[in-house]
Parts: sequence; C-alpha cells; structure tokens
Amino acid sequence: MQWNKIIKEMIFLLGISIIFAFTVNFFSPAGIALVGQWDESLGVIATKAKSDVFSGELEIKHVKIAKQIYDSDKAVFVDARSLENFENAHIKGAESLPLDQFDNLIEAFKEKYPADTIIVTYCLGRTCDDSHRLEQLLFDKGYVNVSVFIDGYQGWKAEGYPIE
Amino acid sequence: MNNYLRNLFNNCWIEIAFRWILGITFIYASYYKIMSPTDFAKVVYGYNLFPEVLINPIAIILPFVELISGLSLLIGIYPRSAALIINGLLLAFIFILTINIMRGYEFDCGCFSTKKTGSPKLMVARDVIYLIMGLQIFLFNGVRKGCIIRVDRKT
Repeated sequence: MQWNKIIKEMIFLLGISIIFAFTVNFFSPAGIALVGQWDESLGVIATKAKSDVFSGELEIKHVKIAKQIYDSDKAVFVDARSLENFENAHIKGAESLPLDQFDNLIEAFKEKYPADTIIVTYCLGRTCDDSHRLEQLLFDKGYVNVSVFIDGYQGWKAEGYPIE
Repeated sequence: MNNYLRNLFNNCWIEIAFRWILGITFIYASYYKIMSPTDFAKVVYGYNLFPEVLINPIAIILPFVELISGLSLLIGIYPRSAALIINGLLLAFIFILTINIMRGYEFDCGCFSTKKTGSPKLMVARDVIYLIMGLQIFLFNGVRKGCIIRVDRKT
C-alpha cells in the first residue's frame, strides 16, 4: 500500500475541506464565531453567530430577581418552549407562546396584553435561546418592556418556586 | 469461506455501490450542519466531551470534511484516502456514541438533523455497517469503476 500517496491525498482533501469551511462560514449569514460562549455559569450558551439576537442588558441573570418580579404581580411570564413541554409543567401562571407558533398566536396574545405589559420570557434554561428569540419577536410586535429570564424553567424548578 | 470473503471484498460492483452509498450518506449528513452551524454546535456541546474552545471549530470544519470526503467517494477522486478519512470519522462517532451510552447520557446524535434520530445503540450499529463499507473501499485492490482521478490497480 502506498502510504505516502495516501497521506498526501488525505492532506489535500482535509486542506480543501478546511479552506471551504472557513470561507463559507465567513460569508454565510448563518456563520458562527471561531470561539463561542459555552460556559453556563457566564450566561446562555451561544455560538456567537451573526444571526444572534442576544442583548445582555435585558437578561435577568439571577433566579431570585425573577422571583421578585414574579411576586410583584406586575409582569407576565411567557413560556417560549413547545406547547407539549408547557403542558407538562411550567412556571405557575405563565402564558404559552411557543416560538414555532408565534405567528399563529401573537394576535390573540396582543388582544389580551397591551404593548406596555411587562413581559418576562423564558425557555428551558441556559442551554436554549428560544426566550431570546421570542423577546426579539415581541419587540418587533411593539412590546417595549420585555426581558429574558435566562435560567428558565429548570432554574425556577431547582429553587422550588411555584410550577403547575 | 476465506476466498468467498476475499472475492466479495474485491468485487468492483460492491466497491462502487458502497462508495456511492457512503458518499451520498455523508453529503446528505453534511447538509443540515452546513445550513445550521449553530444547531450543530449545540449538538457538539451536548456530547459533553469537547473543550469549549473546540466546539465552534468542530461545528465549522466537520461538515465540510464530510461533504468533501463524500463527494470524493461519489465521483471517485482519491477514493481510498477519502474512505480512510470517513473511516476515521466513523470510528470517532462510534467512540463518542459509546461513551455517552455508557455514561447514560440522553443526547441528540445530530447525525442527519437537529431532531432526535433514534436509539443511540442503533446509531452505533449503523455506523459499524458504514465502517465495514468504508473498509471494503479502503482495502479494495482491483480496478475501481466510475473514478474521475484515481483508478487503483493491484500493487
């Protein structure tokens, strides 16, 4: 077997792959950063993609602060997870607005909640970004007081706070 | 029996069939990963095996290694080397899947889509079958059919 030839061919194929990979990633709108944020203790995990909609200023990073807002009864908690997950269990009193059904459900939501409603979106926890995407969609629909509870359902449940 | 197996391993029609099956499979597998690098990076993160600094580079490079190697097999450019790369990937996939099965992790393999694609044990069995195909392509010693660049003859 001609190993020298095989190794040269493999280097050629891998080299072409790497050049294509970084070129496409650089120009693609779905491209991601070379290093992402994968430390859950620092916040929501993210590839830092060009399409990311994260706004750290609007994040609620501590469960206890989310609980204070919840206890004030001034905010509506909105669950961005699927309806199936919502029906399994959710933060007590939360509204369901699954990301994939946003267009179908937003009109009914708008009739129920005016644009100045204080909204807190959440999803499973720091491994999902659906709550950030929902926050962005709600902004686009005119809601101005929207923030994201990044510890989500898992963080809330771990503290023993009310779920249903 | 040994002769029968040797003939099977050196059958050019089996070789081209395996090359096309593996080629198309890997091209298909690369498609969603290239279209959704963010989703694929989260799958890589979900394996809980890689240092944080490597997750994005893996999500960027691996799909193109699958694509280029798959294309090489399909159109017959350096098929033996492409098969060796794909066998390396398959061994890595089998290793990663097995470790996570042993750890009892629930995870999304991310092989062909971001949706769950079935039992991890079945995925390992499937990868072992692909590996056998890859080995046949790598060890084949006859004249390869349908190759653009390299037509390997007995050495």
